[in-house]
Amino acid sequence: MSQGKIVSIHSFRGGTGKSNTTANLAALTALEGKRVGVVDTDIQSPGIHVLFGLDDEKMGKTLNDFLHGKATIREVGFSIGENLTAEEGRAKLAGKKLWLFPSSIKSREISQILKEGIDFNLLNEGLQSAIKEFDLDYLFIDTHPGLNEETLLSIAISDALLLILRPDNQDLQGTSVTVDVARSLDVPNLFLLINKALPKYDFAALKENIQNQFQLPVASVLPLSFDIAENASGDLFALRHPQHEWSQALRGVLPYILNI
Amino acid sequence: MPGIFDRLNKEIKDSQRQEGISPLDIAQLPPAMRKIMRLMLREVQAPYALICETMEKVAEQERLSRSALDDALAALTEQGWLIQIGAGEKALYKVNLRRKEGSALMSGIWSSLDTKLKKDSSDKS
Repeated sequence: MSQGKIVSIHSFRGGTGKSNTTANLAALTALEGKRVGVVDTDIQSPGIHVLFGLDDEKMGKTLNDFLHGKATIREVGFSIGENLTAEEGRAKLAGKKLWLFPSSIKSREISQILKEGIDFNLLNEGLQSAIKEFDLDYLFIDTHPGLNEETLLSIAISDALLLILRPDNQDLQGTSVTVDVARSLDVPNLFLLINKALPKYDFAALKENIQNQFQLPVASVLPLSFDIAENASGDLFALRHPQHEWSQALRGVLPYILNI
Repeated sequence: MPGIFDRLNKEIKDSQRQEGISPLDIAQLPPAMRKIMRLMLREVQAPYALICETMEKVAEQERLSRSALDDALAALTEQGWLIQIGAGEKALYKVNLRRKEGSALMSGIWSSLDTKLKKDSSDKS
């Protein structure tokens, strides 16, 4: 089996901070000297590129081009460390080995994928080739919320699945469904990340409660933060504000990733 | 009105699209076969020897004997979930994932949006 590890980051419901967490976690992993790829498989509502400072003009080739045979996976990989913008957080990635494999944000190309469907053999070959061609230590997959077919494929090929949930009853029930699916697909490493926990909560008690409920490790509990909202995906928050309690809590997930 | 060959061609394409395994199919396989399919997903294609090697690492109570493994590979190939290239000890197996079908409804929404955005942009310029 190839050496690079696939880490899927998923949440059953939208708005959990999945893309923000994925981008920051991938960046922290790259700062540890690892070779990291980030794939946006949320083809119908892509967004993680924003956190890396990309827009339609800067993006170049996309996963959509690869799926339509118009680009190789090597051409899709966008080197973040070599194409930095002025933002303080992202600037720390200078020279780091981090590539983004973005999905197109052109409405026509999203429409085309939705109309024609997806060749999953090609998508899977692309993901596995990305690991080999870029000699990645980690490939992070930012998935679409819920359980669609792309997400199920991502889970099936993962070495680790990080499930993000808020301390909310809807999230808890949905996460339970995803955990069942992941267990039935023999994902070797499953862990949870609680995000947007109200500061008034007892985080240790919350962590223990969720761990007991799912019989899975909770990698960390991230507080609900107005500072994150104010950042508005404009920069990689954990790199820009490394001492912030949210960033510190996110760093708590790193050992789980590095020990896969 | 489409001719008979157009219809036949569509039927063939439709049946080809239905072939292949989905992640939910994988979830319902017995543990040893799931192990094979996960290996195949990661390797994309694997020689028979590597599959045998992987089976050796499966927990003893779930491990398939060589003949049972051969039967399992034959069944997965028959089902269209694996594609076999070559035969016997030199065979190479490739995973065959089911294609995600397109949705005319979702596509229609995006096409309409695309048309409107283009119109708005040309009205402004």
